[in-house]
Amino acid sequence: MSSYPRWKSFLVIIVLAVSFIYSLPNFYPSFPAIEISHGKNNENANNITKTIIQNLKINNVLNKDDKLILKFNKTEDQLKTYRKLQNSNIQEAFTLTNYNDIPDWLISINAYPMFLGLDLKGGVHFLLQVDKDNIKENLIREIEVDTKKLLIKNKYRYQSFNKENNKIIVSFKDNKFVDEAIDKINENFNDEIAKKNLSNNLNIIEISPSQISIDRDIKSAISKNLTILRSRVDELGVAQPILQRQGKDRIIVQLPGLQDSTRAKGILGSTATLEFRLTKGTPEDWYNSKLSGTPTVNSSALYFLRDKSPILLSRKVIVAGDDIKNANTGFDSATNTPAVFVKLSDYGASRMLDTTKKNIGNRMAVIFVEKNKQEVINVAVIREAFSKSFQITGLDMKEAQDLSILLRSGALRAPMEIVEERTIGPSLGKANILSGKNSMYFGLFLVGLFMLIYYKLFGLIANIALAANIIIIISVLSIFQATLTLSGIAGIVLTVGMAVDANVLIFERIREEIMNGNSPNASIYSGYKKAFSTISDANITTLIAAIALLTIGTGAVKGFAVTLVIGIISSMFTSIVGTRVLVSIIYENKNSKRLSI
Amino acid sequence: MLKLININSNYDFLRKKTTAMIFSLILIILSFGSFATQGLNWGIDFSSGYIVQLKFNQDIDINNIRNSFIDNGINDSVIQYFGSNQEVIIKLQENINFNKESINSFLINSLQGYSFKIIKLEFVGSQIGSELREKGEWAMLVAILSILVYIGFRFEFLYGIGAIIALIHDVLITLGIFSIFQLQFDLSVLSALLAVIGYSLNDTIVVYDRIRENFTLIHEEDFEKVLNTSINQTLSRTIITSLTTLFVLMSLLILGGSAVKYFALAMIIGIFVGTYSSIYIASSSLFFLGIGNKK
Repeated sequence: MSSYPRWKSFLVIIVLAVSFIYSLPNFYPSFPAIEISHGKNNENANNITKTIIQNLKINNVLNKDDKLILKFNKTEDQLKTYRKLQNSNIQEAFTLTNYNDIPDWLISINAYPMFLGLDLKGGVHFLLQVDKDNIKENLIREIEVDTKKLLIKNKYRYQSFNKENNKIIVSFKDNKFVDEAIDKINENFNDEIAKKNLSNNLNIIEISPSQISIDRDIKSAISKNLTILRSRVDELGVAQPILQRQGKDRIIVQLPGLQDSTRAKGILGSTATLEFRLTKGTPEDWYNSKLSGTPTVNSSALYFLRDKSPILLSRKVIVAGDDIKNANTGFDSATNTPAVFVKLSDYGASRMLDTTKKNIGNRMAVIFVEKNKQEVINVAVIREAFSKSFQITGLDMKEAQDLSILLRSGALRAPMEIVEERTIGPSLGKANILSGKNSMYFGLFLVGLFMLIYYKLFGLIANIALAANIIIIISVLSIFQATLTLSGIAGIVLTVGMAVDANVLIFERIREEIMNGNSPNASIYSGYKKAFSTISDANITTLIAAIALLTIGTGAVKGFAVTLVIGIISSMFTSIVGTRVLVSIIYENKNSKRLSI
Repeated sequence: MLKLININSNYDFLRKKTTAMIFSLILIILSFGSFATQGLNWGIDFSSGYIVQLKFNQDIDINNIRNSFIDNGINDSVIQYFGSNQEVIIKLQENINFNKESINSFLINSLQGYSFKIIKLEFVGSQIGSELREKGEWAMLVAILSILVYIGFRFEFLYGIGAIIALIHDVLITLGIFSIFQLQFDLSVLSALLAVIGYSLNDTIVVYDRIRENFTLIHEEDFEKVLNTSINQTLSRTIITSLTTLFVLMSLLILGGSAVKYFALAMIIGIFVGTYSSIYIASSSLFFLGIGNKK
């Protein structure tokens, strides 16, 4: 029998070597850690290090490049220190992270460990959906204004103009202008508005936003919200957060390592903002308004303070959330209570200056606005005119911090609702990894043992191929920085089964050939040849199923499909080419009488 | 050579073909019966609501927890022990008393007097749940269709039909078992089902491959004999492959922990059913479809 092509042997060796190297990063231990960036400023770094060692009593401080790394053995310690850092006066940015002690030579070739999914690492997963009704409402409001203008301009006198059910209904006295009006509207606002005639009454026009315009607004809301959510998530201090658009109108937010989902939920979905208004009337008016339930002064509105005392405010808003450029938390120097330091935009500053100049001696109120409630958190007398920067008290520290985050990141373009949430405690994550690993090892051990006993030397070869297969899968996941989830591990398990199957097919064929009286080398040759078409048919059908899952599935199903696809391809390589190379090394040129199979 | 199956075995599998078909038919009817009455125990991924896993610092009585919930307006909580008397899994429907923002504090309030930690909290809105169901069904359909095309292409159209019959048989019975015993059907079980499709096909194709080979090699009038020979020849391989895969799945089931339990269970059931179908149903279908009569 001619020798097995040399180049195939080389191919196997190269593939194995590369896979081995790129799978290495996964075997280095990882620690919970905190990163503090000091931007390559060594003096800065030393100062911070000194502070940390003294005040926080941590000795394990690494200086790498442009950041300091604090290593911890337990997540609890990591979190405790993180909170201490938040309350300290360290200005530099710091984040929670997982630190892998990977040697530099691996980093230089871009070899990193693969990501572990939430179900393995612990953390929080949210699926947010944009409020489509809100978007439609805003669209309708725009359409209302534009349409009215157009009707008036063209002197189409209408009888009534009403908004109901996300539609605008315009009725005319007669149908003289109806068709003309419809054409004019459709002409001028091409994809913005669609026009219809109500079937029974020909004097009525229905106007609604077109699907294209709704979709377009949803898309723009999602991308703006993504940016805003990203900056909110940054503030939560999570390392490696994932924010992605999903489908037409959803956003996935994944926060690995986060323990408390309540705060995250609060910040992510919040539409909280501030409003500034002047007060109206006297305290007596306020009291009377509370009794009667309605404002007793013209063009004012009734609000309540935190202690439930009433107040009347002007209907005009001086500045609000959009005018706030920056916000920070701190302490009010005079009263030593928590305060939010606000910086207004230029436009906001000029409006504020205007108002305060004209109203010295009057009172201004700060309103905390949220989805369904509005609370006055502060009322103060305007002592002197101010414009750009000032401070607000009236919230406790946590509220002040959260509010600053929200003011800094900006208001959501359209409200989002949490439609899916999964929280995995990190302990469950660790338990999952551990039991996943253990069960895999044990299962593999059983398989290996069986193959060894049943197929002897060939069984050993199959086991080696199996090990190589797993290494290849790990390295591919690492190179592409894919995320490994529990279902991904399940996919690897299935791949193992199929890899073994391929080998079993080959070996059973070889046995058959031997039983039919063929020489060892001839048996090997035809065994591999005949089994090949069976193996490829079988593997390709599974591949088809896996690809269907990959494209259509999401989340867990996708994770499973990813490892399955990688696994099938790599198992075909190791089971066919890989074992063949080993077999030919052992039996080639050796006219053995018997095969150890 | 160590052998599990005598290589010259000559079991007459196809003699039992009618029995096998009837047996399978009964199983399928039972499955449909269960679908119609009990339905599947849809996991939260496919329905909607909350799943909460709590770990307490002491042994607790589920009834007490249930009563605490009733006192707070929740009458339909489903609570189970999970691994020990200190850990529970609670399934809650959507309720006016709390929403996704306030559920954490709601739990703390209703369970005052207990000290516990939230290990896991999942919420799936009803729209998402039904969407996932749709997507899952789609994925299955597309997978089945593309497989039919591929096999029809590589073998013959009737082989494709036979394979699909065996496949649908496996899926229905596995689902049926899940329904009868009300085992939880979640996303991981769906993955397992799809894996079973691939695996069962694997088996079926190996047998078909032999049949196709033997058809040309053995000039045998009796198609039944060709089928029998083919099955016998591949028997060794079928048993061994199932065995090794079962090794891994069993250890997943026993050692793998809660998250993969149902996946492993679904796959194990699927493999048993799949092996049975590859030996009996796949080939019997070919016989009844009249492949032998083409000659």
